Amino acid sequence: MPSSTRVSGTNSEGASTAPSDASPRTQIAPAKPALEQRRSRPWYFDVWVQIVRRKPLGTVGGAIVVLMLAGAVFADVIAPYGYAQTSLRDRFVAMSAGHWLGTDQLGRDLLTRLLYGARVSLYVGFGAVALGSALATLIGVASGYFGGRFDLLLQRAVDAWMAFPPLLLLMSIMSLLGPSALNITVVLGLAFGIQNSRIVRAVALSLKEHTFVESARALGSGHVRVTIGHILPNVLPTIIVVATTGLSTVILTEASLSFLGLGVPPPYPTWGGMLSLAGLDHMYQAPWLAVWPAVALSLAVFGFNMLGDALRDLLDPRLKGG
Amino acid sequence: MKQYVVRRVALAVPTLFLVSIIVFLLLRLMPGDVATRMVEGHAYAPTLAALRHDLGLDRPMHMQYAEWIGNIVLRGDFGRSYWTRQPILDEFVRRFPVTLELAVLTILVSVVIGVSVGIVSAARQDSVSDYVGRVLSIFALSVPYFGLAVVVVVLPAIWFRWTPVWTYVAFTVSPVENLKIMLIPALVFGVTRAGPIMRIMRSSLLDVLRQDYIRTAWSKGLSERRIVLRHALKNALIPVISLVGLQMPLYIGGSVIIEAIFRLPGVGLFFFEALGKLDYPVVQSVNLIIAAMVVGLNLLIDLSYAFLDPRIRY
Repeated sequence: MPSSTRVSGTNSEGASTAPSDASPRTQIAPAKPALEQRRSRPWYFDVWVQIVRRKPLGTVGGAIVVLMLAGAVFADVIAPYGYAQTSLRDRFVAMSAGHWLGTDQLGRDLLTRLLYGARVSLYVGFGAVALGSALATLIGVASGYFGGRFDLLLQRAVDAWMAFPPLLLLMSIMSLLGPSALNITVVLGLAFGIQNSRIVRAVALSLKEHTFVESARALGSGHVRVTIGHILPNVLPTIIVVATTGLSTVILTEASLSFLGLGVPPPYPTWGGMLSLAGLDHMYQAPWLAVWPAVALSLAVFGFNMLGDALRDLLDPRLKGG
Repeated sequence: MKQYVVRRVALAVPTLFLVSIIVFLLLRLMPGDVATRMVEGHAYAPTLAALRHDLGLDRPMHMQYAEWIGNIVLRGDFGRSYWTRQPILDEFVRRFPVTLELAVLTILVSVVIGVSVGIVSAARQDSVSDYVGRVLSIFALSVPYFGLAVVVVVLPAIWFRWTPVWTYVAFTVSPVENLKIMLIPALVFGVTRAGPIMRIMRSSLLDVLRQDYIRTAWSKGLSERRIVLRHALKNALIPVISLVGLQMPLYIGGSVIIEAIFRLPGVGLFFFEALGKLDYPVVQSVNLIIAAMVVGLNLLIDLSYAFLDPRIRY
């Protein structure tokens, strides 16, 4: 495995001086002129090179994520059948050449449904995390930067929200809103944002005390300029870490809600929904109906976990732990 | 110490107050009307207006809130279910032992597995057993508990014609029968929760094992067993305990799903069924009771630190 061949001196500064192993990707990034003499790659590109070189598990995770993304994006092209295409003749077909992972009680192809299910997981996952990260940034930076009574009040509300077991609260909201892809994305995003605003707030609090913020204020910058121009870029790595490590949790929560029938409604396939109790009686007849969705979900969570951990180690060593 | 407890309890009051407002408003602001459903689907009353009046839904919102919270604070009355007209607290108390037993067993399973594998991993760092332990923890982190639960229900039934026992027997009636029922759900749930505990136990113990007082213990000639288990473990357990505390809401939330799969008549199932019927008082009160428990438990956990690490004072 080429990823583990080089071990020494590969921090982000030293990487550019090291002979690159002729991979074409390392040559695409244009070098930034002036100032940055030693670094030829932008950081967001460098991180990926570092993951491949230093984090074998992260690389495996990344590969799984890429595979899942490809499956979801090209589901229309690669899926052998339609996701709601039933066939009474082909009910409960075991794994075979025609149906690689078998079929369910209505003769729908399991592989096809898993591919389309990946779409839901990713759509909800990325949507909720994007929304939640924006919300976490907004709450966190505002609360940390302005402080005082505003911070105190806002944080008590966050306290109250976090006193709920998350699943109970999400179940309550979803059962009242009614199941739909948009609803679950917004609700999960809201929960994700409120929960993670704590982390962003802590970073913003410490950034506020730095001299560069003080000098920006002394130069006459307003609050908007300071927060957007100076605080935000420095909070960004933390937000990226929070978002990537949170993706697996969000995907898992979506699956649990779909499992309970509170996620994306049928006939559109979701991994959680495919596992749900409604299909339990059929699973005794066709155990693959239980096994493959569980495997797909585990693989996805594993992929995002490992990728997230690797990104966290490289981007924000302070958050390392557990 | 006493002062600390008083301050923490005082802080919990406004938090729980906000919690009650959040659940109350949430249920009132969302679409979906319980009265319509009760009249149209189930003929609970001749007309909508009559039922609304009966349930007190026709009164202004702040009055409804004041009545709900007032009854709880003044009389310990958590209200009645719209559908069955039974007192919520009675039903909660009746079902709570099931959920509590599930939670205790689950935590026991996950802590025993997580802590022991974590200890071996840390004490034998970079050995084969360390790698096996770490792979196990990654596995446990990735497998969703409800997926594992469904597979555990389905596969043995097909392979060995073995199915979990579906009829619930209370612990007080027959402890052995009860444990037979509870063991599988607790194992399934506990195994998947052991992953994070394993990881944090390992990193925390590694950290402690590098400290000066451990080197002193080594130079005194103590055995490895004594050093790891007597000297290091207690200090290394602190992050584990706070993790279990932080995960408490997850245990409770997850018990809804586990109870639904294994048909255990616990609080989780009560809540889930009430949700399906838009039974506001039940959803509100159960949410509030559980949130209060979470807040109280966090306090207990914070206090337990002082026992584990005598340097911590409040």
